[in-house]
Amino acid sequence: MERLAAQLGRAVQGKPSEVQRVVTCVVAGGHLLLEDMPGVGKTTLAEALARACALSFSRIQFTADLLPADILGAQVFHAATATFSFRPGPLFRQLVLADELNRAPPRTQSALLEGMAQGQVSLDGETHPLPSPFTVVATQNPVDFSGTYPLPDSQLDRFLVRLSLGHPAPDVEARLLTTRGAASPLASVEAVTGPEELASLRAFAAEVKLDTAVAEYVVRLARATREHGDLERGASTRAVLALGSAARAQALWEGRDFVTPGDVRAMLVPCWAHRVLLRSAVQGVSARDEAAHLVEELSRKVAAPR
Amino acid sequence: MRQPLRLRLVLRDLAAGAAFGAMAVSGQLPVWALAVFLLTLVLALCNVRLVARHARLSALLLLVTAVLLGLQLTSGAMNAVVVACSFAGLIAAQRMLSTPDGAADGQTHLTGLLMVAGGAALSGDMTYALCLIAFGVLASLSLALGVVEAAVPDGEPVPVRAVLRPLSGGVAFAVAGAVAFFVLFPRLNWAMVGPRSAPGLGAASSAGFSDTVRLGGAGTIKSNPRVVLRATLTPDPGRDALDAYWVGRTYDTFDGQEWTNVAGAQRTERQITLHPATDTLLHQRVELLPAYGGRTLISLETPSRLGNAVAHTPTGTRSSTVQLHGGSEVRFTLTATSYTYEAYSLPPDAKAGTHLNLLQAESDQLLALPEHLDPRVAQLAARVLAGEKEPLAAARKLTAWLQRDYAYTLELAGNSEDPLADFLFVRKAGHCEHFATALTVLLRSQGFSARLATGFFGGARLDGGYIVRAGDAHAWTHVLVPGRGFVTVDATPPSHRTSQASALLEQVLALYEAVEARWRNSVVDYSFRDQFELASALVRPPRRPAQASNTLSSRLPPARAWLTALGVAFIVWRVSRFLARRPRRAPRMEATRLLDRVDAQLARFRVPRFEDESLEELTTRFAREGHPLALALVPLTRRYLEARFGGRALREGEAEHLLNTLRRALEAEAARRAPKAAEQAGPTARAS
Repeated sequence: MERLAAQLGRAVQGKPSEVQRVVTCVVAGGHLLLEDMPGVGKTTLAEALARACALSFSRIQFTADLLPADILGAQVFHAATATFSFRPGPLFRQLVLADELNRAPPRTQSALLEGMAQGQVSLDGETHPLPSPFTVVATQNPVDFSGTYPLPDSQLDRFLVRLSLGHPAPDVEARLLTTRGAASPLASVEAVTGPEELASLRAFAAEVKLDTAVAEYVVRLARATREHGDLERGASTRAVLALGSAARAQALWEGRDFVTPGDVRAMLVPCWAHRVLLRSAVQGVSARDEAAHLVEELSRKVAAPR
Repeated sequence: MRQPLRLRLVLRDLAAGAAFGAMAVSGQLPVWALAVFLLTLVLALCNVRLVARHARLSALLLLVTAVLLGLQLTSGAMNAVVVACSFAGLIAAQRMLSTPDGAADGQTHLTGLLMVAGGAALSGDMTYALCLIAFGVLASLSLALGVVEAAVPDGEPVPVRAVLRPLSGGVAFAVAGAVAFFVLFPRLNWAMVGPRSAPGLGAASSAGFSDTVRLGGAGTIKSNPRVVLRATLTPDPGRDALDAYWVGRTYDTFDGQEWTNVAGAQRTERQITLHPATDTLLHQRVELLPAYGGRTLISLETPSRLGNAVAHTPTGTRSSTVQLHGGSEVRFTLTATSYTYEAYSLPPDAKAGTHLNLLQAESDQLLALPEHLDPRVAQLAARVLAGEKEPLAAARKLTAWLQRDYAYTLELAGNSEDPLADFLFVRKAGHCEHFATALTVLLRSQGFSARLATGFFGGARLDGGYIVRAGDAHAWTHVLVPGRGFVTVDATPPSHRTSQASALLEQVLALYEAVEARWRNSVVDYSFRDQFELASALVRPPRRPAQASNTLSSRLPPARAWLTALGVAFIVWRVSRFLARRPRRAPRMEATRLLDRVDAQLARFRVPRFEDESLEELTTRFAREGHPLALALVPLTRRYLEARFGGRALREGEAEHLLNTLRRALEAEAARRAPKAAEQAGPTARAS
């Protein structure tokens, strides 16, 4: 994992903790939602991830006229044999970058999300399994909402982790400026692991012991979100499970085979901030910050097991 | 060896206490046994195991006690069952105070079983049953916890809370099963063994009806509000307070200390006529309750006919003959826990006629005076009477004088040579027996025939009948009036004739009596026949008319008692809900204790720390900042987390080692910081 993070760090400089979260998310077997302004390295990060893990990669730019068939693939008629055969779309890759997910119409979004949830795609009555491991890195622009279809909450729930990279620090930016000209940073990313190793890493993460005390802590946190006055809707059961697997991956990252309350707290905001629904009508960046702030506050209020 | 679970020991000791209580409620255990066991229980609950170091000495003491008890038994001073019970209590006490190992636990429970069996031989009381159930529940919990404790590996906490819940359910199920077994299984009665006391708290009634009347004695008469008698009168007087004299027996001979009778037992019959009947008789259907504790039939003054007697024993209900004794006393010939009978009395205002139904010897005693009567008594009587010749008028005169000049007290005067003279000339205060004796002797000294009568005074309305309490026991005087027979004269001040207990206590006891009556009817006296009737009632609809069930239900406590019980149950339910909702305290684990100590050390050395920053976060921060303490904190935190959440328990002494390392690091850090602080403080000091 550290090697993986090191490779990613080469591509996305000055963001060690974010990179670590990305690795954690991948190891936990979850999908990643990057929410940020254009031009801070979201795509670079996803591409670096694909390279470092030696995963097959495709990038789908979501636009308002994108149709499900565009991403899933279609039955194609072969004139020579006079038969239809399935031509897989760009979704049939191990790592899919869904750029600007919220620009596509809901139909397309839901096609993608079905694939994310089921690991397979249904088309014309036939199911086609997606490759394994299958990870979606979706990006959203939180500022520019014109002409977008905001993701329904139930679909946001399917992303294990939501991150925003933010602008790099000034010195990192300056270094970028001086060195970028030489070569693309992606070129320096080497494949340090493969799909098989990633799969075994995921198996490891699933094996990490989660003590009942910690499990109760997670449940207490969930109940706190559900009973919070400023939240319209608290964390779902899927959110509880997601936090569990994220915390397991985090523990593995720390080199432990058991989860501590610290792991839970570390993954709490990235895991849950996008899953709770605020009561107030604020939207966009401020809503996102507000939710993160509330969840953070709850994690301080709910006593961790000792 | 690991420390035994404290809760289990407490449960064990409480179970033994309940078992001892099962014997103690019979009221037959010697006081020293009670005292020794109570002291033991308190010590054991405080976890003071006195005997642990002197096991041999205590065993020797036990042996000596056994020999002493054996001597008492052979000399006939103590009953075999009581001796066995007391000794079982002592063994239990010795076991409870010795080192709490597996053997001692088993033996404590075994003696508990023995004590419960002993209690069964001593009494079949409801309080006994409560103690029995308490013993069963507590001992089961303790034993089960013992099993769980043995199964948990060393160093791991015993999951008490997790275990207790299903355990309690199981015990409740077992108790319910036992009740079902009790109801359904054919009854075998082995209650004939041993000396059964009259059930009830304290077999000997402190203020009640006694066989002889003895003046003197020390202490205070306790007002006992327990119900001893329940009667239904026909025709119903319809008053709330009957204020009638219920006579048990009369006495004709006074020896200066004690009243007795010259005549002994006379005839035994199904029915005894004491007085020829007139045309209007007051019929009473009387129930003597276990708290009464005697065999003498009680009836309203003046009794005419007594009979149709039924004795209720633990083995069943039998009709009993009655025997006439001296002093117009009628006794049951059978010994039982409670009795019912019928009596007919002359109405209070009826002319009794001249028929006295007395033996010659008894008639001769009506003027007898004690041998060493103080001469001042006769002088005093003569002075007060001032030549009054009419017996009733003389008695009234003396009564008025006694009530005016003498005070009523429940304090006993203590033993004296001449209690009567002591009452008349020294204390000028006494209780009903003093007043009645004084009046009788004063009358006799002036040549008026009189005798002492004892029984009860009062009668409170309850469910259409009347109840009389033990504290209503009373003594008064019968004056022989020529042509009218014996006339009742009461010298005791009227306000002190009935029970002196508080109204609230009386109400509570009435409730208890009602519940206990239920218990007796449906548990102690529950027989094979009852089982059969229950079964047939289940098969066929009840044939009894509604009237019969009315008389049954009249024994039930009134509606407000049920409401109170409901209210109490509701409150208990609310409280339990509240307690259940309170956040549960997480089990204190060894790792958690380590964390507490680490926190305490960090706080002592004033390590800078954010509010509610966990040790894990603090360590991560220090490691990131390169803080010198990180070196000591990282392994410690890692071991804590492993032990707490990783399932790798701390080894023996590991916590100590880690804490010592941390303390050294903290001291080094403090020493490093101190000169810096001094440097910072130095210039300001100089500047000022």
